[in-house]
Amino acid sequence: MAAAKKLMSMRRDWRERDVRVVLAALIIAVATVATIALFAGQLQHTLVSSASSFLAADRQLEAENGQPVPEEWITEARERRLQTGRMVEFSTMVFGSDAFQLVSVKAVSNEYPLRGELEIQGDSEGSREQVQHGPAPGEVWINPRLLRLLDIRTGDTLEVGNRNLTVSGLLLREPDGGFSLSALAPRVMMHVDDVASTGVIQEGSRVEYVYLFAGTEAALEGYYQWLQPQLGPSHEWEGVRDGETFSRSLDRAESFLLLGGSLAVLLAAVAVAVASRQYALSQRDTVALLKTLGLGSSGIGLLYLKRLALWGVTGMVGGLLVAVPLFWLLTRLLSEALDRPVEFQLEASALTPALLTALVSLFAFAYPPIRRLKHVPAMRVLRSQPGETGREALPDMLIAIVAVFGLVWLYAGELSLVVSLLGALVLLLGALGLLGWLLVAALRKVRGGGHAWRLALVGLYRHRRASLSQIAVFAMTLMLATTLILVRTSLLDDWQAQLPDDAPNHFLINIAPDAVGDVADFWEERGQPLDQLYPMVRGRLTQLNGQPVKEVVSKDQRVGALNRELNLTWMASLPEDNNIVKGSWFEGDDKQGVSVESELASKLGLALGDELTFTIGSDKITETVTSIRTVQWDSMKPNFYMAFPPNGGLTDMPATWITSFYLPRDQKSALNEFSRRFPTVSLLEIDNIIERIQEIVRQVTQAIEAILVLILAAALVVMAAVVSATLQDRQREGALLRTLGGRQSLLVRSTMLEFALLGGFAGVLGVAAAEAAVWALQFRMFEGQFSWHWQVVLPIPVMSALVLALFGRWQLRPVLSVSPMLLLRRLE
Amino acid sequence: MPTTNPDSQRLMLRVENLSHRVSLETNTLTILKGVSLEINRGESVAIVGRSGSGKTTLLGLLAGLDTPTEGTVELDGSIISRLSEDERAKLRAHRVGFVFQSFQLLPALTALENVMLPLELAGMDAPEKRARELLERVGLGERLTHTPRQLSGGEQQRVAIARAFASDPAILFADEPTGNLDNRTGQEVSDLLMDLNKEQGTTLVMVTHDEHLAARCARQFHIEAGELTEPVAEAELAD
Repeated sequence: MAAAKKLMSMRRDWRERDVRVVLAALIIAVATVATIALFAGQLQHTLVSSASSFLAADRQLEAENGQPVPEEWITEARERRLQTGRMVEFSTMVFGSDAFQLVSVKAVSNEYPLRGELEIQGDSEGSREQVQHGPAPGEVWINPRLLRLLDIRTGDTLEVGNRNLTVSGLLLREPDGGFSLSALAPRVMMHVDDVASTGVIQEGSRVEYVYLFAGTEAALEGYYQWLQPQLGPSHEWEGVRDGETFSRSLDRAESFLLLGGSLAVLLAAVAVAVASRQYALSQRDTVALLKTLGLGSSGIGLLYLKRLALWGVTGMVGGLLVAVPLFWLLTRLLSEALDRPVEFQLEASALTPALLTALVSLFAFAYPPIRRLKHVPAMRVLRSQPGETGREALPDMLIAIVAVFGLVWLYAGELSLVVSLLGALVLLLGALGLLGWLLVAALRKVRGGGHAWRLALVGLYRHRRASLSQIAVFAMTLMLATTLILVRTSLLDDWQAQLPDDAPNHFLINIAPDAVGDVADFWEERGQPLDQLYPMVRGRLTQLNGQPVKEVVSKDQRVGALNRELNLTWMASLPEDNNIVKGSWFEGDDKQGVSVESELASKLGLALGDELTFTIGSDKITETVTSIRTVQWDSMKPNFYMAFPPNGGLTDMPATWITSFYLPRDQKSALNEFSRRFPTVSLLEIDNIIERIQEIVRQVTQAIEAILVLILAAALVVMAAVVSATLQDRQREGALLRTLGGRQSLLVRSTMLEFALLGGFAGVLGVAAAEAAVWALQFRMFEGQFSWHWQVVLPIPVMSALVLALFGRWQLRPVLSVSPMLLLRRLE
Repeated sequence: MPTTNPDSQRLMLRVENLSHRVSLETNTLTILKGVSLEINRGESVAIVGRSGSGKTTLLGLLAGLDTPTEGTVELDGSIISRLSEDERAKLRAHRVGFVFQSFQLLPALTALENVMLPLELAGMDAPEKRARELLERVGLGERLTHTPRQLSGGEQQRVAIARAFASDPAILFADEPTGNLDNRTGQEVSDLLMDLNKEQGTTLVMVTHDEHLAARCARQFHIEAGELTEPVAEAELAD
C-alpha cells in the first residue's frame, strides 16, 4: 500500500501546519507534565532527605532514661541492612587554661553523621571545610565562642572530667543542630569512645543516648514495626521533625508547580482541539475522494485512528525527549541550591500522568472532529456540501471538558483548583456571550467604507462567529497564563516577605527573668534591638478532656508535639504573623483559656471548649481551648503551639525568656562580649541555615520560571493554532481586496486593527477571569490574602492587542508580497 | 443485499422513477423528479442540460455517491439504496471509475501514486506495474514522479483518466471532464477518454456542457429542471 501509506505518513503529516500544531501542543503538554511530576517527586524526596540531615540520619531513637538501649536492637538494625550510628549527649563543666564553662557535650561514633555534613574550621583564621565525620578519639571540636570564654586556642587542651582532650577544630555547623532549642550551652563535640574515660557519666547523671539509623524507607519502616512493641515510655522514635525548616515554602512551590502543570494541560488541550478541528476540516476533500475511490467509512475511521495513534506516540516520545534533559537541568539546579548531590532518577510512575495527558487530550479533543470525518459524504467530490454548524460538536465538547478537568483533578489532587478554574471558565463564557450580543447589536450599524477603522469593525461583525470563537480561545489562553503569572508573583512576594534580608538570624534562649531588661538594653545599645521577648515554660500535654492524651490519640498519628516537652508561653497580644481561625484572642484581664496552633489542633482533633491538661514539673494546669490560630513557622521568630493569657496559671511557673533578633555578619564579634556578660544565656546562631533557605528559595524560583516558560510556549502554540485556523480565508479575502483595487496600506491597517480589537477584548476578558480564578485559588491553595494586581493585569490586554495585531500583520505577508493573481490561484 | 435481475446481463444501469429532494431551512427543494432510464453495457451516454438543471446530482445518484429520496438505481445488478455505505464503497472500488471537472488528484502524491491508490484500495495485485502501463498509455510515461502541482491542467486530467481506468471498472462516470480545460486540450482529453473507453469496453456516463463531446456519445439525455426531456431516449428505451 505504498500510495495509501504515503498518504498517511508522518512525513506528509509534518508538512501540514495543523498537524504540526497538534504535535507541538502534545509535546509541550507531555514535557511540562512529565517535568513537573518528575521534579515534584524529586523535590519531595530531596526535601525529606534534606530534613533528614537535620537529624543527621533518617531516623533517631532517643533514650532519655540515662540507659543505653539493648545491644540486640542495634544488631537487628544492622541485620536489616540499616546504617547505624550512636551519640551520647550530656552537659558538664569543662576547664580551659584558667576558666571553666558549662557546655553541652555531644559524643559521636565514627559513623556520625549518617546524613548531612559538619562544617568546621581548623582555627579561627582558617578556611571553612565540610566533613562527614566527627573528631578522632583524643580530640574535641568546640563552638568558637568557647575560645573567648575559656581563653584558649586551637591546639590547646580542654579538660573534660578526667581526660585532657586536644582542641583540633572549631565546630561551625552540625547537621542535627537545626532549630532545636535544647542546645542550651556552647557545644563541645568529642568521640564516643572517650566518654567512659572522662568519668563524667555516673549513675543518675542526666544523659541522653541517641541512636542514628539510615537506609531505605521500607527497611526503616520494617525495623520500626519490629522495634515498636519493645519501646519503653522514655524511648522516642523520631522521623523528620514537625513544623521544621522550609518545608512549607516548598510545599507551596509544589502546589504552584502542579497548578502550572494543570494549566499547561488545559492550554495544550485547547491547542489540540483547535488544531485538530482545523485539520479535520482540511481533510474533508481527501476523505470524500477516498470514499469515491472505494474506501468504506470503517476504513476511513481506521486510517485516521492509526494516524492519531502515531501522533500520540510522537507526542509522548517527543515530550519525554524534552522533559528528561529539562529535569536533569532542574536536578542540577536543586543540587546546587542544596549544596549536595541530588539523584537524577527517572521514576516510571511520574511519567504516567504525562502519558495520560497525551492520551486524554488526543482522544477527548482531537478524536471527535476526526471521527466525524467518516460521515463526510462522498458526494462532496462533485459538489461542496454544507460544512459543520458546530452544533454536532457540542456533546463532544462537554465530554472533553469533563475529561480534561478530571485529568487536572487526578493530577493536582485539588478539587478546589478544578472548581476555581471551572468557575472562572464559566464566568468567561458568560461574559463572552454578553460580548457577542453587544458586538452584534453595536456593530450591525457600522457601514463599510474606505476607512481602516470601519473596515476593521465591519470585518469583526462579518466574521462574528469566527471572531467570537477566537476571542473565546484567546481569552481562555490569557486567563490561564495570567493566572499562573499572578500566582507566581504573589508566591514570590510571599516568600520575600517571609524571609526578608533582615529576618532574625539569632536566638537568645534561657534568659533569666531578672536579666531580661539587661539583655534587651545590651542589644539596644548596639543598634540591634530585640524582637519581642517571650516567656517560656517547658511542659507536656498529658490529658485531653480528662483522658490521657496517649490513649486518645493513636500512636499511628505520631504527633511529634506529644512526644516531647512543649514550649508553653503567655502573651498579651497576638503576634503579627499569627491569625485566629476559630474562637477569639484573650480579652484584657482574661485568666483562663489557651490558644492552640491550628495544625496541632486538627491533628489532635481539638475543638473550642476542649480541656487540655499540661504537666509542668510536678504541677498540673488544666485549661479550656478558647482559640485556634495559625502560626508562621518559617518566620524565624519564636513560635508556640500553646499560648496562655498573661495573668493565667502559667505565670506562676518557673519561666525563662526567649527572643530572636537580626545581627549582620560583620557585627558577630558582639556575640563574644555578650557571652561574657551573660554566660547563662544560650545563643543559637541560625544565619547559616537562613542563607541556605534563601538560596533554596532562589533556586526553586528559577525552576518555577523555567516551567512558566514552558506554559507560555503552550499559550503561543494555542495562538498559532487559532490564527492558522483562519489563515487561508483571510489570505483569500486579502488577495481579493487587492484584486478589487484596495490599497496595501488600507489592508494592513484594517487587518491590524481588527486583530488588535480581538486581542484587546480577549485580554480584558481573560484578565478578569484570571483575577476571579486567583481570588478563588488564593484562599484555598495558597492561604494568602487576595489583592488586585493592577500593575500585572493592566498591561496584559494592551500586550495581547499588540501581539495579535502583529500576528495579523504577519499572516498578511504572503498577500502583500505575491501578486493577488498568483495567491488566488495558489489558494484555490 | 444485492439483487440479481434477469436483465443484468444486458443492462449496466437501470433507474426507475428517481426523485431527489433537499430540505432547506424554510422549504424543500426538488432537484430531480421522476427520472427513469436504462443504460446498456458498453454504451456511452451523455447527460446534458443547463447549470442547475440537476445533472450533477443525477450523476452522483447513478454512481452511488448519494442515495435518492425516492425511486431505485440498479448499478451492475445491485440496487444501490439497499446497500450500506461500506457496500457501496466496495462496489465503487471494484466496478466504478470517476473523472472530475476539477481533476481531484491528491496533491501530496505523485502521478504514479495517484493512479496506484484505487488499485491498492481495491486490493489488486501489482498496482505499480498497472499504474505505469496506464500512465504510459495516456502519454505521461516521463512524468511518473511529478506531483499534481508540477503538471498542467491537461496533464492532471490525463492522470485522472489513467486513475479512472486503473481498476478496470465496468462503468465510468465523468463530470464535465473538459470543463476546466481550453478547447485544444479539452479535445485531446476527450479523444483519450473515448479511445480508452472503446479499448476497455467500459460503459461511460458523462455530464457535459460540451456539445462536441456529447455528440461523440451514442446517446444523449437532456435534463431540464430535474426532469428528462429527451424523447429520443424514451424511444430507445422502448426498443
